[in-house]
This record gives sequence, C-alpha cells and structure tokens, in this order.
Amino acid sequence: MIKNKLLFTLVLSLLTAAGVLSAPAAGADKGNKSPAQPPITGLTAADMPYDVGGTVLLAWDALASVPPGTVYQVFVSSLETGGWIKAGDYPADGVKPSSEIELPFWAWRGSKTRSALRVEVGELFAYKVTTERKSALCLALEKSSLLRAILSRLQGQGLFGGAGKPEPYTRVIEYKDGIPLNFKVVAELAGKQATAVQVKGSTASNWFRLDRLNNLLLLIVIVIVFFWAVSHAKRKGLFIRRIAGLDAIDEAIGRATEMGKPIYYVPGIGGMSGISTIASSFILGEVSQKVAQYDSQIKVPHYDPIVMTVCKEVVKQAFLEAGRPDSYRDDINFFVSQDQFSYAASVDGMISREKPAAVFFMGYFMAESLLLAEVGATSGAIQIAGTDVESQLPFFFTACDYTLIGEELYAAGAYLSKEPMLLSALKVQDFGKLLVMVSVFFGIILVAVGAKLHWDPFIEVILNLFKAY
Amino acid sequence: MSETWMIAGAWLAAGLTVFLFSFLYKDNPFFKIAEHLYLGAGMGWWFQVYLYNIWEPKVWKPLLNYDWTVLIPSILGLSLVTQFIPRISWISRYGFTFMMGYGAGLAIPAGLSTDFITQIGGTIKPLSAMASSTPPAIFNSLLVAFGVICVLFYFFFSVEHKGAVKRVSNMGIYFLMIYFGAAFGNTVMARFSLLYGRFDDLYTFSAGQYLYATQFIIVGMIIYFALHGFLTKGKKEAEAAH
Repeated sequence: MIKNKLLFTLVLSLLTAAGVLSAPAAGADKGNKSPAQPPITGLTAADMPYDVGGTVLLAWDALASVPPGTVYQVFVSSLETGGWIKAGDYPADGVKPSSEIELPFWAWRGSKTRSALRVEVGELFAYKVTTERKSALCLALEKSSLLRAILSRLQGQGLFGGAGKPEPYTRVIEYKDGIPLNFKVVAELAGKQATAVQVKGSTASNWFRLDRLNNLLLLIVIVIVFFWAVSHAKRKGLFIRRIAGLDAIDEAIGRATEMGKPIYYVPGIGGMSGISTIASSFILGEVSQKVAQYDSQIKVPHYDPIVMTVCKEVVKQAFLEAGRPDSYRDDINFFVSQDQFSYAASVDGMISREKPAAVFFMGYFMAESLLLAEVGATSGAIQIAGTDVESQLPFFFTACDYTLIGEELYAAGAYLSKEPMLLSALKVQDFGKLLVMVSVFFGIILVAVGAKLHWDPFIEVILNLFKAY
Repeated sequence: MSETWMIAGAWLAAGLTVFLFSFLYKDNPFFKIAEHLYLGAGMGWWFQVYLYNIWEPKVWKPLLNYDWTVLIPSILGLSLVTQFIPRISWISRYGFTFMMGYGAGLAIPAGLSTDFITQIGGTIKPLSAMASSTPPAIFNSLLVAFGVICVLFYFFFSVEHKGAVKRVSNMGIYFLMIYFGAAFGNTVMARFSLLYGRFDDLYTFSAGQYLYATQFIIVGMIIYFALHGFLTKGKKEAEAAH
C-alpha cells in the first residue's frame, strides 16, 4: 500500500515536473506580442553649460531604433536612496542627439551617438514656508498690559477685530545650485520599463556665456568704432545728412513767438530707460534753448515722474546755456497722470483750450498717439512728431506736418546739437547699419551657395554666427 | 448687486461715454468733468496698484520679516524724492545713476542680440532651405532681404542721399510706406472694434431697464448746447460790435 502510494507520488511529481519544464515562459509569450524595452546605457548627468543654473543635461547612449511610443521618465532625488521626484515625461521622438543641442559650434560639440535631454530641476526643489509674522502692534501688546486692556475693550465694542494677532507670511525658498542630486531615467512602453543605472549630478550657474561670444565680439568692435568716432568727431567733425523734419523746428518756434502762443512738447509715455525717451530729452534740450533765445513759452506735460525730473534738468540747463536763466520756470515741466488715456484726455484738453502754435510729439507713444495728434491738428498747431514705435508712425504721418521715423529721432539730438559725443553715437549706429547691410548681402549669397551645393556644415556655421542665444 | 446700483452704474458709464464723445463737437463742461474725473480716477487707481502690488509685498512685508536687503533699492528709490528739496537734491543722482547704469547694462547686450544678430540671422535663414523651397518662397526671402537693405539705406545718415544711394533710399521709403499702410489699416480696425464696444454699451443702456440712460443724457446735452448757444449768442455779437 505504502509502495503504491510512493509510486503514485513519484509519477505525479514527474508529470508535474515535465509539465513545468515543457511549459513556455509566460514572459516569453508576452514578449512575442510587444518587443522588450532596450536598456538605457551610459547615462550621465552634467550641468547644462552656459546657463543661469537650475538645469541639468542628461545624456545616454543613443539606440539604433527606439520603439515608437516610448516615453522617457526622468526622476530626480536629493537623497541617496528613495525620495524620487518625477521631473517629467519625455516622448522618445522629442529626445534629440546631443549634437543638436541649441548651442553654437564654438561652444558645444555634441555627439550623434548620444541622446540628450535638458531637465530643469530648479522648480522641483523650490518650496514655500509659511511662518507667523508678529507685527509691531503684536510685539507692543506682548509687553504692555495697558495696551492689551485698551485693545480688548475696543474689540469688545466690535472694533479692530483682527488687530494684534500674528499673520501668516509665506516665503518661497528657492533651489540653490551645487546640491548633489541623483538621477534615473526609465524608458517605458506599454507598461514595460527599462531603467538606467542611477547617476549623480549637480547644476551650476555659469558666469561666462561662451555661446554669446558673437555678441561680445560685436560689442567690442562697436566700442572700438565708438572711440574712433569720438576722437574723429573732436578733431575733424562728422558729417550728417540733412533731416527734413528737424529743419522745421526753427519754423515752428518762430511761428509760436510771432503768434505769442505756447509750444507744447509731449515726451510720450516711455520710461527713462527707453531709447526714444532719451532721444526725446536731447531734442527737448535743443528746442528749449531755442525757445529761451526767442523768449517764447514752452510747456512739457509728463506721464512719467522720473522722465519729468530728468527733463526739468534738461530744460533748466538749456535756459542757462541760452543765457536766459531768468526765463526758466519750474512749472514748464509738469506731471499729468501715469494712466495712459487719462494723460491723453488731459493733454488733449489743454491743447484744445490753449490752442498752442506748435506741438512736438517726440518719444515713445502707443494708442494715444492719434488722440493727441488729431486734437493738435484740429487746433491749428504746426506739429512735428517723432517716435520709434512703428505701429504709431502712420497716425503721426496722417495728423502731423513733419514726422521723424524711428532712427531719425535718435539722430535728431546729434543733428541739432552737433555735440561730438552724440555725433559719435550716431556714427556708431550707422556703422551698425552698414554691418547689417553687408552681413545680409554676403550672408544670403553664401547661404544660397551653400544650400545649392548641399554644404550643410558650412550653412550651419554661418547661421550660428548670426543667431542670438 | 442691487438694481439701483445697476441703474446708477449704467447712467455713469453712458454719461461718461457721451461726455467724452462730446469733445467731437467742441470743448465743453461735460467733457471737462469726464476729463478731470478720468485723471483723478487714473491717479487713484495707479496709487493703489503701487501701494498694494509693489510697496506692500516688495518692501513692507519683507522688512517686517527682517529681510534687510530690500533697504538698498528702497533707499535708492527714496533718493529720487530728494529732488523736491534743493539743498539735498544731489542725493537723487545716486538713484538716477544706478537706474541709468542698470538700464544701459541690461539694454545693450539685449539690443545687440535682438537688433543686430537676430535680424541678420532671420533675414538670411530662409535661404538656407533654398534647395527645398518653392520659387515664390525664394522670391519672398530675397524680397525681404532687399527691403531690409533699402530701408537701412534710408536711415543711413553718414552719406548724402544722391544718385544711386538716393534711388536705393527711395525704394526703402516705398517699403516703409507699404508697411505703414498695412499697420494703419490694422490699427484702425482695432479702434473701430473699441468704438463698437462703446456703441454697444450705449445701446444696452438705452433700454427701459436702465431708465433710458443714453437717450436722457444725449437729449439733456443737446438742450444744454442749444440753450448755451442761444444765451451766449447775444454776448458774442456785443463783443464783436465792440
């Protein structure tokens, strides 16, 4: 009996073992339906070069063919084990070879056999901290029982309900470069994953941006040209062609003097950092000097208080140089409003009431340009405008007698004053324009020839030279 | 919002719109009311924006939390106010100097990048795909490049515009005028859109629900102008006779 039992058990075990051994592997069967995910090898994490920090460049060996639909998941952690934060999902078709990183040829030499991914980690490690803030009243209440008694009495009457209580204050603690971070990349397709070996890396903020070397070289050339132009202007003077609109300034001021009416000078709505506003302040200086010489009146309504302060100095200096400091009044420059259309409405009102003989619109203008110029034209004033806002120039063309277009506005200060420094600046601008013209002319020829002959690296070099990074 | 407030708001909106439009006829007290109200409201609005969006979160709150670094820009900003006191107005130069230096430092590299390098690159880049471009696309790229050179010639101040230079410069003017024409049409369309918005509001507020705000205001103004014209006519004639 026992023998039979042992025999049965032995046969059953053999059958089971044979069944197990002969059965196909479950994974292998599944694998026949979707291919196995190829492993990610050679993963490296390096600081993204020439950036402000917070970005890491992950690179790994490029695969000959990546199954379509593969997504790379990037994880980052500041801990040695665990604590993984997902930095993002990157579809494989968007991951490019490291040779295609957007950096110029002089700053970056990538490889076509390595895939690269820029991963921003700065925002992942920034966090908010909320603390309770004790106000000055809060601190005073802690010290003074009298104050506490007064406040509780007032609060009993329903006054100052929340006063004297600490308030929540939230601060953002930003990520700092240099923290060692761990990275891992997981390639996923239809639930199957291939994970690369975890690597270390950190980010850094770079002081020098080699990718902008073209900018630096251009700046150095311009500075050299500027110094040459200054010395040349001081020794021999520099030629500037005639600008029609500016010849009308004398006519406009003369007309105002004859009619005994004021001149309005509107410097626009730009801030003092705007080039057109700076140019406008130069022109204002020249106009004010002529106004002082002719003993006419000028009014300068302002939108920006800082521009007003600068213009005050400009006008004061102009009256001084004209030998008429006694004619200068502090209310020549006055503040109107820092709201665009309130400013326009108010200046329109002044122009329509005072009916000035001449109106200058010089500087930065936006939608208020036509509102102002139209009213000036209706009031019969001679109008001279100048702006570098190309969308507003058509309105000035239609409503003003003379219009300075863009660069003419910048040139106006130099043209009127003949100052060596301003003339030199104008010459440098001309040099820049010449550089653009020559570069465009030869650039299109070289690029067209390169494209025709399929010299792709040659085209790349030219395009890299004229690319802003 | 209660119905009374809705009606009051409608009368205010319709009234201010019509008051401002009345400037098209001539300067008048209604326009002056709207103008000064607009000026005051604008100033008040910006004051609270600066107070709550700049001063409180960027100066006051950090100071309460012992973040003393905000004192540096605050002091530089306050130095500008010394302009009002002639004896110490020289202090304002520090603020202005910082602003000018900071502005120039920020603007020059950005200007070089956007005004020079990007413009050149943008003009020549389309031709790099010439092999795969259609003839109209190639013509378009060349036309743009030609336009860029001609327009730049117009703004070239170092040579007298005579002969061939004048011809190139004139071509530049044509390019500019084509652009300005297109920009003018585009902006005028946008302005008309704003005008329709105001008309739409006036039409809405002319309903009985708003107690015929638009009609009453317009009729009231017409009566005022008629009466004013009638009453001042005699005075004007007397002044003219003198």
